[in-house]
Amino acid sequence: MLRNGLYNLLKNLSISENGVQENVRTLVTSLTRCRDVVDRREMLRSLPKPDEGTVGERTMDVDSSIHERTDRFPDIDTPNRLFNGIAFKDLPVFNIRVSPNNTIINVTDAKGVPKILRSCGIEGFKNTRKGTNIAAQATAITIGTKALEKGIKTVRVRVRGLGPGRMSAIKGLQMSGLQIISITDSTRVSWCPPRPRKRKKL
Amino acid sequence: MRHASFIARTVFVHNNDVEAACRILNRILGREDILDQFRRTRYFEKPFQFRRRINFERCKAIYNEDMDRKIQFVLRKNRTDPFPGSL
Repeated sequence: MLRNGLYNLLKNLSISENGVQENVRTLVTSLTRCRDVVDRREMLRSLPKPDEGTVGERTMDVDSSIHERTDRFPDIDTPNRLFNGIAFKDLPVFNIRVSPNNTIINVTDAKGVPKILRSCGIEGFKNTRKGTNIAAQATAITIGTKALEKGIKTVRVRVRGLGPGRMSAIKGLQMSGLQIISITDSTRVSWCPPRPRKRKKL
Repeated sequence: MRHASFIARTVFVHNNDVEAACRILNRILGREDILDQFRRTRYFEKPFQFRRRINFERCKAIYNEDMDRKIQFVLRKNRTDPFPGSL
């Protein structure tokens, strides 16, 4: 009887019930143990404290896609998983280096030995036209067809940097007929970087 | 931020659907504040800019939280059929 009451109380006090956004699962980090209630003090101690602070103080939003039981994300066995008869760790890599002014695509084998390199500048786009999504897509299509001629079919893609060519380069690779297994982001981000250059004057 | 490459920040492409994979990847990068941090560290952030940004973020978070609560409060309902009488 008392236990049922406690369950109801817990349900009412549950932090995860207020302010849950769609597509987000709330992780409650406070410990909510269920034990036999002996006296009032014990019961009060077992209750979660009412959370009146900010969101994120005791609860945390975790992206719901992480909890889906699909093999969207790599696990321990991933390096040895076979894709078209090739282990994941032996697949050739397409390195896409995106910057606001250019897109450079470089094909390496699994060990990192470069095979083909192509950039928007080589492709014939000059000056500001280099830094467009159309240039990135055209470059990706040429390098993709070149790679197909060399017998590279199943690939991993690694993207670095932000810029207009980020999405369209990947799309172009797919349009050229390559089978993309995975997309990795390797943008270099630091939370304690050396002092960057001064901001541009406007 | 050094992690095993092709394990960290990696999404598999299903059924050649590259765009969906990109969306998932970008959403995670955005939520984890990685893209914002990347943009922020392109140029030096002067101390006064840092202070102003932090204060602004703080105020915004408080406002958003209270606004969410208010919306939840206004939208609360205690009936099984939210639109009785309609088919």
